[in-house]
Amino acid sequence: MLTKDATIVEVKHEVLYHVAQHAYAGDLEEKREQIPYDIIPGPQANFRCCIYKEREIVRQRIRVAEGRSPIQDKENRNIVQVVESACEGCPINRYVVTDNCQRCMSRKCQQACKFNAISMQKDKAVIDTQLCKECGKCYQACPYNAIADLMRPCKRSCPVDAIKMDENKVVVVDEEKCIHCGQCIKNCPFGAIMDRSFMVSVINLINEGLPVYAMIAPAGEGQFGNFSMADLRDAVKQLGFADMYEVALAADMVADSEAREWLEAYGEGKKMTTSCCPAFVTMIDKHFPQLKEHVSTTVSPMAAMARYIRAKHPGAITVFIGPCIAKKHEVLESLTQENADYALTYEELDAMLRARNVTLQSSDAVLQQGSIYGKKFSASGGVTAAVVKTFQEMNVSADVNVAQCNGAAECKKALLMMKVGKLPEDFIEGMVCEGGCVNGPGSIKPEMQSRKDRLALFSKADNRGILENIAPHYDSIKISLHRK
Amino acid sequence: MEITICIGSSCHLKGAREIVSKLEKIIEKCELSNQIHLKGAFCMGKCSVEGVSVKVEDELFYLKPENVEQFFQDEILRRL
Repeated sequence: MLTKDATIVEVKHEVLYHVAQHAYAGDLEEKREQIPYDIIPGPQANFRCCIYKEREIVRQRIRVAEGRSPIQDKENRNIVQVVESACEGCPINRYVVTDNCQRCMSRKCQQACKFNAISMQKDKAVIDTQLCKECGKCYQACPYNAIADLMRPCKRSCPVDAIKMDENKVVVVDEEKCIHCGQCIKNCPFGAIMDRSFMVSVINLINEGLPVYAMIAPAGEGQFGNFSMADLRDAVKQLGFADMYEVALAADMVADSEAREWLEAYGEGKKMTTSCCPAFVTMIDKHFPQLKEHVSTTVSPMAAMARYIRAKHPGAITVFIGPCIAKKHEVLESLTQENADYALTYEELDAMLRARNVTLQSSDAVLQQGSIYGKKFSASGGVTAAVVKTFQEMNVSADVNVAQCNGAAECKKALLMMKVGKLPEDFIEGMVCEGGCVNGPGSIKPEMQSRKDRLALFSKADNRGILENIAPHYDSIKISLHRK
Repeated sequence: MEITICIGSSCHLKGAREIVSKLEKIIEKCELSNQIHLKGAFCMGKCSVEGVSVKVEDELFYLKPENVEQFFQDEILRRL
């Protein structure tokens, strides 16, 4: 049962947990209708007007947790889904004069407004919403900070202006523009935006007894506390996965491949961008299509890892597990690229662990498949650092200049410069989440809380080099690291 | 044109990946890679014993790996 202080994260998690539990038990079909009553037993409502609305919200969340759109017959293909019944239709009048208004004599707001939208009424200034163009000049001009900017949190968080509203003020995500970065999911204070999940499919295939392999993204260290990759592998195997690989190993392979590509491009004077962050790649696809040819042809670490696992274990079903929502889109888009079969988030993994009653146990076992450079792909600047390190290991002196774009705003700015031919740097490292994958929307803990554990775990990693780490794997398995 | 193939577990078990690689080969053979794009989809909720859920221009088909060639001849080529 939910407690009064339950947060949005807990509500979403509770649904994932129940769905995972029934999927494992194989009775989701029969018990689906029961879950809303288990989560919201009543008779008192917890957050919304009544238990009936709360249960309907849970019903819609269950559909998303099963990988569908929240409402039957209103299907769309986007990863990011709006749980309509949970959307509160926040105010859409962006600028509002608050009671802080002193009805001052200077009337700076009125003077600043070019559209005559502000009039002085008996108690305070008032903005005529019909005339207001939301330019924000009044907001900047008020000497008392009396004008509030109430842009909806979802809309404010979206870096590509993909959030619209329907006639009932309910959010609509523009599929044509959305890059699946998940910022709106993270920022909606009512948890009304969710990402579809492959979790049930993965559990079903595990239940079928098929060889399902987990690939843990580098940002995972620290997400589960101070547990090592070996501890995590132990827990993941208890969930029914055949084995677990550290995607940092594939990140090392990608660093090597990128280094070769960069050198070639550098020689030709061609500017290039990284291809690891799927939200960044989609940003280019949808918003800067003229730059597509500048995207490195090296596949993402997820795809490299999937190819490696399939080569090593024919018939393997590969499941990426990371902090990223856009990876789910990468899976769907790159169907013919021998990419991962499915992508899950840490949130979903956590729900599966809870559903199976698996708790992580500390052990002395050591598992390190990636170099420390591969592991650090998960933080802004990490890809560049790994490529530069590869240059050193290759004994190549290349004085490459990289725009390390930390977050969507910086990515957009650099791409814009590249588009107009004014990018001073040679390469762009694009990461749409601020701080890098470690701040991804599918995380269990925000970076602030996981950092200490992550750094402690990283400090235990040995100092093997990138080329040294991948050489034995390349000797035994030949895979292509490029897009087909 | 987009062909959307369901990759949910039920369709996976009915050979979704095999259908993808068969379609891919046919498309390559016919040199239609620029015109036909294969995309994956979450479970479409239309799981059927008749085969894997495949959507072409909003029309739903159920495909078995052995019927891919026929499907391509009958449904895809005429739409191009």
